[in-house]
Amino acid sequence: MKNIWKLVSVMAATFTVVACTDLDEELKGDFTSTFPTTQFGSNNVNKPTPNDGLGGAFSRVLNGTANHGSWFSVQEVSTDEAVITQKGGDWFDGGIWLRMHRHQFDPQVGGINGAWGDSYGGITQCNALLASTDPQVSTPAAKAQLRFLRAYFYWRLLDVFGRVKITTQPLVDVAQSPRIDVYNFVRTELLAAIPDLPSGKQEYGRANRYAAYALLSRLYLNAKVYKGLANHDPADLDLAIAAADEVINSGLYSLDTEYKDVFDPDNVEALEHIFVAPFDENTGGGMNFAQMTLHYPSQLTYDLRDQPWNGYSTLEEFYNSYDANDKRKVQNFIVGPQYDLNGTPILDLAFDPDDPDGAPINYTPAINQLAPSGSRQAGARLGKFNFKIGQIPDQDNDFPLLRLGEVLLNKAEAQFRKDGSGLTEINQLRTRAGVSALGTLTEGVILAERGRELFQEGLRRTDLIRFGVWGNAWWEKAAHADAHKILMPIPIEQINATAGTPFPLSQNPGY
Amino acid sequence: MTKLYLLVRRCLTVVLIFGTLASFAQQTVTGKVTAADDGSGIPGVNILEKGTTNGTVTDSDGNYTINVGANATLVFSFVGYSSQDVAVGGQSVVNVALQSDVTSLSEVVVVGYGSQDKKEITGSVVALTAEQFNRGNVNDPRQLLQGKVPGLSIYNRGGNPNSPATFRLRGISTIGSNSQPLIVIDGVLGASLDNVDPNDIESINVLKDGSAAAIYGSRGSAGVILVTTKRGAKGKATVDYNGYVAADQVSRRQPVMTASEYIAAGGNDLGSVTDWQDEVTQTGISNVHNIAIAAGSQNTTFRSSINYRNVNGVLRKSGFDQVNVRANLSHSAINNKLKFDLGFSSTDRRSDFSFNEALRYAVLFNPTAPVKFPNGDFYQAILFDNYNPVAILEQNINEGKRKTINYNARVDYSMLENLTLTVNFARQFENNFNGTYFSRNSFWMGLNRKGLARRFVSDFDFTLFEGWGTYQKSFGKVNLDVTAGYSFQQDNYEDIYIEAGGFQNDDLGYNQLEQAADFSLGGGRPNVSSSQSPNNRIIAFFGRANLTFDKGIYFNASVRREGSSKLGVNNQWGIFPAFGLGVDLAKYVDLANVNVLKFRAGFGVTGSLPNQSGLTQDLYTFDRNNYTVRFARNGNPDLRWEQKEETNIGVDFGIGSKLTGSVDFFVRNIKDFILERDVEQAVFVSGRRTENVGALRTKGIEVALNYNSVNIGQVKWNPGIVLSSNSTELTEFFNTRFVTGEFGSPGQNGTPLNLVEVGKKLGTIWGPVFDRVQIDGINGNVVLKDLNGDGVIKGDAGQALLEDADFMELGKAFPTLEMGWTNQLTYKNWDVNVFFRGAFGHSLINQFRGFYEPIDPGAINSYNRIKTDKAVAGLTEAKFSSLYVEKADFLKLDNITLGYRVNLPNSNSFRNIRFYTTVQNAFVLTKYTGIDPEPVFGDTEDNNNPLVTGIDRRNTYFFARTFTLGVNVGF
Repeated sequence: MKNIWKLVSVMAATFTVVACTDLDEELKGDFTSTFPTTQFGSNNVNKPTPNDGLGGAFSRVLNGTANHGSWFSVQEVSTDEAVITQKGGDWFDGGIWLRMHRHQFDPQVGGINGAWGDSYGGITQCNALLASTDPQVSTPAAKAQLRFLRAYFYWRLLDVFGRVKITTQPLVDVAQSPRIDVYNFVRTELLAAIPDLPSGKQEYGRANRYAAYALLSRLYLNAKVYKGLANHDPADLDLAIAAADEVINSGLYSLDTEYKDVFDPDNVEALEHIFVAPFDENTGGGMNFAQMTLHYPSQLTYDLRDQPWNGYSTLEEFYNSYDANDKRKVQNFIVGPQYDLNGTPILDLAFDPDDPDGAPINYTPAINQLAPSGSRQAGARLGKFNFKIGQIPDQDNDFPLLRLGEVLLNKAEAQFRKDGSGLTEINQLRTRAGVSALGTLTEGVILAERGRELFQEGLRRTDLIRFGVWGNAWWEKAAHADAHKILMPIPIEQINATAGTPFPLSQNPGY
Repeated sequence: MTKLYLLVRRCLTVVLIFGTLASFAQQTVTGKVTAADDGSGIPGVNILEKGTTNGTVTDSDGNYTINVGANATLVFSFVGYSSQDVAVGGQSVVNVALQSDVTSLSEVVVVGYGSQDKKEITGSVVALTAEQFNRGNVNDPRQLLQGKVPGLSIYNRGGNPNSPATFRLRGISTIGSNSQPLIVIDGVLGASLDNVDPNDIESINVLKDGSAAAIYGSRGSAGVILVTTKRGAKGKATVDYNGYVAADQVSRRQPVMTASEYIAAGGNDLGSVTDWQDEVTQTGISNVHNIAIAAGSQNTTFRSSINYRNVNGVLRKSGFDQVNVRANLSHSAINNKLKFDLGFSSTDRRSDFSFNEALRYAVLFNPTAPVKFPNGDFYQAILFDNYNPVAILEQNINEGKRKTINYNARVDYSMLENLTLTVNFARQFENNFNGTYFSRNSFWMGLNRKGLARRFVSDFDFTLFEGWGTYQKSFGKVNLDVTAGYSFQQDNYEDIYIEAGGFQNDDLGYNQLEQAADFSLGGGRPNVSSSQSPNNRIIAFFGRANLTFDKGIYFNASVRREGSSKLGVNNQWGIFPAFGLGVDLAKYVDLANVNVLKFRAGFGVTGSLPNQSGLTQDLYTFDRNNYTVRFARNGNPDLRWEQKEETNIGVDFGIGSKLTGSVDFFVRNIKDFILERDVEQAVFVSGRRTENVGALRTKGIEVALNYNSVNIGQVKWNPGIVLSSNSTELTEFFNTRFVTGEFGSPGQNGTPLNLVEVGKKLGTIWGPVFDRVQIDGINGNVVLKDLNGDGVIKGDAGQALLEDADFMELGKAFPTLEMGWTNQLTYKNWDVNVFFRGAFGHSLINQFRGFYEPIDPGAINSYNRIKTDKAVAGLTEAKFSSLYVEKADFLKLDNITLGYRVNLPNSNSFRNIRFYTTVQNAFVLTKYTGIDPEPVFGDTEDNNNPLVTGIDRRNTYFFARTFTLGVNVGF
């Protein structure tokens, strides 16, 4: 008996020693902690972005800038320049876009979680690269690029949500900051980055110091809102003008002869681009305007690979704010009867019975109603970033996140607010658009001109708030005096995700 | 003791089918075995010469012949009867009348790493033999068990022949990790059920509770299913042929408008009348053939079989062609001290997956549209999300091949009288090779891609190595049985996916990918990916002790220490203990008419692992769309075992000689459940991370009752019923109250359907309540009910969680009671099996109605309309509300079989011949208007996420009624 136990214990012991207990997990299909930053540059067809190890961060501007359900949607659908009507059974989506249009914001309203996530998606990539010891991304120039980019994303958060967390290191959580702190962070980061940013023309898809100045002009112009002041502080207006002048006087930028050249699919060389989201149909996906705005049969007009979604259009009043001969009107909108590539009218077999146009598609600026039975064919469509024939859902047009046209308008507005001047800059843009020069300026005129020039560039919400007309009534949207609505609510998903952590997010006041 | 044990073990794996061995026989004994209560012959009775392995079984009339030694004692045994020992004592004819005794419970049951007498089991274990399996056109071994095991829910919604059924044991066992039970086939852990033909299965045991499953540790949380395949026996070679032909017909359709109703409702009249649901469906004819050969000599037995299945579903072009081969070989050497078992099986299946989308569009497509234009081209038009369903089936190809191979080798060595050592080595391989091609002419997918091809290749392999020792000893009234061992498991997976468009013509389809113009256009057009998993390993040490005292008190204890490569480096190892106690009170207390009254109590801890690997490490991926490498996900280095602690209390009873049953109560506490969750995007790079995030508690009760032989004249009726009820509560979660689910496109994105709340049961369907229609011109809009009476209706999706929201529970997704009711009737040579199955208390969200029942005057031209008596007159707005949540209680006549056994003359040519016919899904009683009232435990469009429940999606395969005609022949 004893012998048996001895034998068993010896065998068991041997077995235990021999038995494999190796549980190392070596991944074969993914990169782990080694970050091969130097091996990948962008292969954009039209123009390559630099092979500088920063692509992982800079490519994040492609997210949310020109697709549905993120920053672009928040900045546009809440305003008087774009709308998503409910088309019967289509596009109700729980009412999130109707509530966005009507300013009935709640923590699940359309696009805010995407806007939050895409902004922080860029910030966390910047933080990861800023913490990297890889020599290529550790140079002062690389760090300046990353700090600029991070500041740009924080500007989006400052502008949309106000009270956010300023995280600057990977995996280090911090408390939520008041809006003024976020404003100061963006400002000081931009100023700190400037000396190490290039003073010459920017590389494709990267920033130079004039990108920082251009963003500063926007930041200072909106300082009243971001700081919570009743009036514009003249000092901020001076800073806005000075920052704009840095760009204008740099000699690097000039207005393109034709407005359309700034937005075309082959706009990579546009003269007034300062900082762009370098969309590319092959290697820079994320611009989906054709899908977002066109009606289903318009697939045949452009030989689109995928069927579009019939979502976004423009408010009639906004469409009518352009002079008939304004070149920007032609570029910015798609209206009228639509044809296929052979010139045959395209049909919507499922047309609404009360649609006077019947089956042939005719995009009319007038829209019958917001909901529930918005006409499927109604509304001028968003055409500024015009479409290539035969394109896939990812468009080729670069999206100017900062361009000279805006900087001129920023300067004009700051000057007007300071001393009533500013006509020169505004008339430069009007001249290019083929409309008569203005003789006098008012706040309303400046806002309308910004609307016409900067349509579909994701700035309208910011402008309406700064001009104090955010609570005004417009088509299918009642007036309100809710001051808290200048900020969007913090997305419910984000508040939930921080529950139980040391720094839970709190909701913006009023929501 | 050892000898007896070995004998018992052999009985378990060796089925003596027919024949005799005469190597040391000295006398021939014949006779007949009858039932004591009615004198009828009992076929299949085991007859063993005591103390030897010499044996036989009775034929179809109860007759037997055996050669035995002069002083032999014969042991007659049969399930449901008391066994009898008869000394031969020189007689040449021994007739025996067996007393029925359904309470004997003398079955041997396979448990982890060994077997136990059923009465020694202290956990909740259900053992089913082939006679108890579901019959008819069963192509998936999972279906054999449907409705037979209390607490085991098996659903294959609709019944697509190419998609396996889903298991749920005792409710929701996990949220984000593996929810499928561990499958053990002939002792091989993790073997694939897709590589076992239902014809080859001898028995299936289900280890339901933690105390039984804990010996399997990490993979036992969702239960363990032990499959034993048929093996050869000593004696004359036998050949069995089983074959059947089956026809599947559409049993329930979506109720839609006819062409004239559609025109009357304002639809576009395109001049034809087409029943699209008819056009895309067929009577699916299947035929199945199985041949098995078994034989054995004194030391060697084998059984091998070949199974051919040609199966066709109700959706046109859906089906598969499959050949499965299995071979089991056993050999004993050195006076039976050394035993070798070799097993091999392979399955190759060629599937035509067809396109389930055709079923969806068959419901929605304009009933006045022609299938084809007069020139022979398909009628196609640009509509949103609606395509000619016949064109989908005819223009495009979707097929694939799967090859599965298993082999295992096992050696048992009886080193000492009381000690056996076992080593088991097994490998499994599975390859998939799929191809899909969308024609240049298909408006659905191919037109704008100028033809689109997809190829997918995957390769999976699995290695198992286990070794253990078993020691048995009796000390007076105490029997001890100790097992200890080591287990090593590793799986690897890799795949390649290619998608590209741009073909000059459709002729070669996916067989000439190089033709695709997308490759030269580059960038985002072709879609290519490849991946390989790390070595996913599980390593374990385990031990178990079973103690029997006085053959009336049983104690089992086991422990498994187990490590997984998928978990955080400091949390890889976990300990999974279990113990159980059983007492047969009937042995100690004299209870009138109660033969068995066994109380069982068990407690066990099991674990569960995430499905993915690489979760504990930071990941950087190549982002093809942006052509950069970027930081993709923060790893979770602290990821640890998801643990389930389960307490099971049960009682087995036998009253009189006929009624047996068991009742089990259980509580499962699942803690640290693993889920990929939203984390704060300000801190974590992807905003998602897999963590141990919460806890669940499931409580339930399960009842099984069987009554043996109700005699109605010459008809014998054996009814049996299983009932189960359970509910799962979310007891801890990082997010204490939230809505989830998604109604979907068109127009109802962002519309949540379920409420999840800590402290509440899972499976709550949540939404606003429909009040009335408000007519506005040609539109009839939804007015929701002001539930709290505050004069403001807050029924929008985004308002679901507000304090003053007008939302409420609209139904429960999970049934409160599930039932299976078996009836076996025999009359002379006839046998009838009637099996009802039901689930009660659950509701379904009818997605088809929710989108396509309201008659939108514009959209009527886009879609045909669902037409039920639940429709609200004048309603034009499609908007989710209580209107589309339907009670889905059902009772199905799941299976009815009529069999006839042919009386055979006493010749050697045939052993048995039986004809049978089966109808599956003969009828269903339900008020649900959709296709299939079976509950939906997890969202089919969200990885079967169990938090998103009760949604009857538009992708449900049409529900079939199946007629089968079959024959079993034994030579």
